Amino acid sequence: MVFVAALIWFGAIGLRVGELVNFGPGALPRVLALILGAAGLGMFLHGLVQREQEAEPLVLAVRPPAILGIAIFLFALFIRGGDYGIVSTPRLGLMVVGPLTVFVAGFATPEARPRELIVMAFGLTAAVLLVFTDLLGVPLPVFPTRLEDAIPPSFGTDAAVRALYIVYACVTAGLYTWLFDVPGRRRD
Amino acid sequence: MTELIDHLALGFSVVLSFENVMLCLVGCLVGTMIGVLPGIGPLATIAILLPITYNAEPIGSLIMLAGIYYGSQYGGSTTAILVNMPGESSSVVTTLDGHAMAREGRAGKALGIAAIGSFIAGTFATLVVAAIAVPLADLALSFTAGNYFAVMVLGLSLAIVLAGGSLLKAFCMLLIGVTMALVGADPITAIPRLTFGTNVLYDGFGIAIVAMGLFGIAEILRNLENPEQRPFAGDVVGGLLPDRNDMRESAGSIGRGSILGAVVGIIPGNGATLSSFASYVLEKRISRHPERFGKGAIQGVAGPESANNAAAQTTFVPLLTLGLPSTATMALVGGAMTLHGVVPGPQVIDLHPDLFWGVVTSMWIGNLMLVIINLPLIGIWVRFLKVPYRLLFPMIVLLCCIGIYSVNSRPADVMQVAMFGILGYALFKLKFEPAPLLLGLVLGGMLEDNLRRGLILSRGDVWLFVSEPRTLALLALTVVVVGSALVPTLSRRRQFLVED
Repeated sequence: MVFVAALIWFGAIGLRVGELVNFGPGALPRVLALILGAAGLGMFLHGLVQREQEAEPLVLAVRPPAILGIAIFLFALFIRGGDYGIVSTPRLGLMVVGPLTVFVAGFATPEARPRELIVMAFGLTAAVLLVFTDLLGVPLPVFPTRLEDAIPPSFGTDAAVRALYIVYACVTAGLYTWLFDVPGRRRD
Repeated sequence: MTELIDHLALGFSVVLSFENVMLCLVGCLVGTMIGVLPGIGPLATIAILLPITYNAEPIGSLIMLAGIYYGSQYGGSTTAILVNMPGESSSVVTTLDGHAMAREGRAGKALGIAAIGSFIAGTFATLVVAAIAVPLADLALSFTAGNYFAVMVLGLSLAIVLAGGSLLKAFCMLLIGVTMALVGADPITAIPRLTFGTNVLYDGFGIAIVAMGLFGIAEILRNLENPEQRPFAGDVVGGLLPDRNDMRESAGSIGRGSILGAVVGIIPGNGATLSSFASYVLEKRISRHPERFGKGAIQGVAGPESANNAAAQTTFVPLLTLGLPSTATMALVGGAMTLHGVVPGPQVIDLHPDLFWGVVTSMWIGNLMLVIINLPLIGIWVRFLKVPYRLLFPMIVLLCCIGIYSVNSRPADVMQVAMFGILGYALFKLKFEPAPLLLGLVLGGMLEDNLRRGLILSRGDVWLFVSEPRTLALLALTVVVVGSALVPTLSRRRQFLVED
């Protein structure tokens, strides 16, 4: 019967929009909101009328959406940094945020394996830097502000990006041998 | 006729540049890959890759996006035949006979006939698109605002009627989509509407953002719920090329499937899936040995596979000639065009002939590539099936974030993706189809615009607006379509289609 509760929620959304639209050249929004409210109400009634057996219980998994949400928010908050009212965040750039997002997002499944994820986090970031920043030239903040200032101008940011993904690729390879290969060989 | 050849020649001259051939190849390969993988569909992929194409030329990116779409039809059948699991919804029926053939050790033949059938159907569909696009666009150019409004209403109602699922729910989603399209600055007076006082919403909802959330992220969440089951794929494929006997048996099916698919694809609604079902039913009905179906009848593979491929291509017709996307995927492609400064509609052929004919001919080139390249690569695609999803999805998440951030460099966009993702998951749980919402979002602005202009032209007289003959006919047709879906026998048949 949670299904019915959800329908109430839906109806409420429809009605709330209906009351807030009374401004501007809002003829169409208002008409739409009315129809939507009516349809929501119809659905609500349908939910009330339907027999118990027909109703399907609503089971929402909480963990995956929450973790994925956090991962994406982390990306949004720290990629460029900025002032978000309550919190202000430093710019960390793709260098930090990339592996972080992958690592956190990976935990959305119960089958997550931290070791695999950490290897993949660095590998993916290296690949993304190669493809997007270097090959496609997509403007993405790569380095934290402090670090970027520290790059000597003679070296240049492009070269630094290249150096970074090469380093990350090496880190990936290194972690891979360290975390997987060695125990694997021991088992043999 | 010579005109047609001229057009196609122009198209080939555009496509056959190194860059465009490469993009077409990339599109086809990506499409096949995601088609093979059951977890990801063309809709989600296009949503994810959409922002990445911003930096490319419009022609190239459209060629690539189109390649993803029809490539996925090929890939879907591979999974269906080899592991009895539809890679895409349009290859559901292929599992019936395709997998039966695989169990008989004729997997290679099934794959071969699917590819050959798809290629023939693709060639046919390309010609159909090329032939009817110009007259259809001419017709569309003579439309008044009122006509246009009515066409859109008809298209949208066809889309929700044919899409399956609860009609009322689909209708609600559509309304929400249209309402969302109205968010932001009013096109005539620039007064902010429905923004609730925030600046973030002044530009309205970005199609890419909504699509990526509702289809990309939400799909990940949906997949995470089902415990992973990677099926075992047999390594024995057998000879790939069908012999003369197979060809003779399936030639008719391919022909019928092509025509059926091409026609169904033009009608709004999920053309590719619908046409494959229709073709299967048709083949079974006219076959002299209906009892063979389900036990490895080659016609049961050839017909639907041809049909879904033909339909996948003709779905582009309404978008490219009327500016009317008929499925959610097309809505996204339309969004991509708009973002590149090409407004989908009848003007496309005149204003951007290179783009239009380039995309049309690229479909044929892409189909050719798919046959030549993919058949030998089937072993590799099958190996992709063994990549566990737990490794796949963090990758998708990162790509989503980067993709959407790179469009506007606005962190708020990325946050919206997360919110739409969770919303999409909730909607899935409540059994609401998100596709009508996207259609509404894309068409909403145009819908309002034409309604307003139409009303201005008729000086606010609703009756005058409605009574224009063509508007009236189209609106009447809409009523018939919606009405027929509500008639008990037909609605039961819809149910049947959904459950099948």
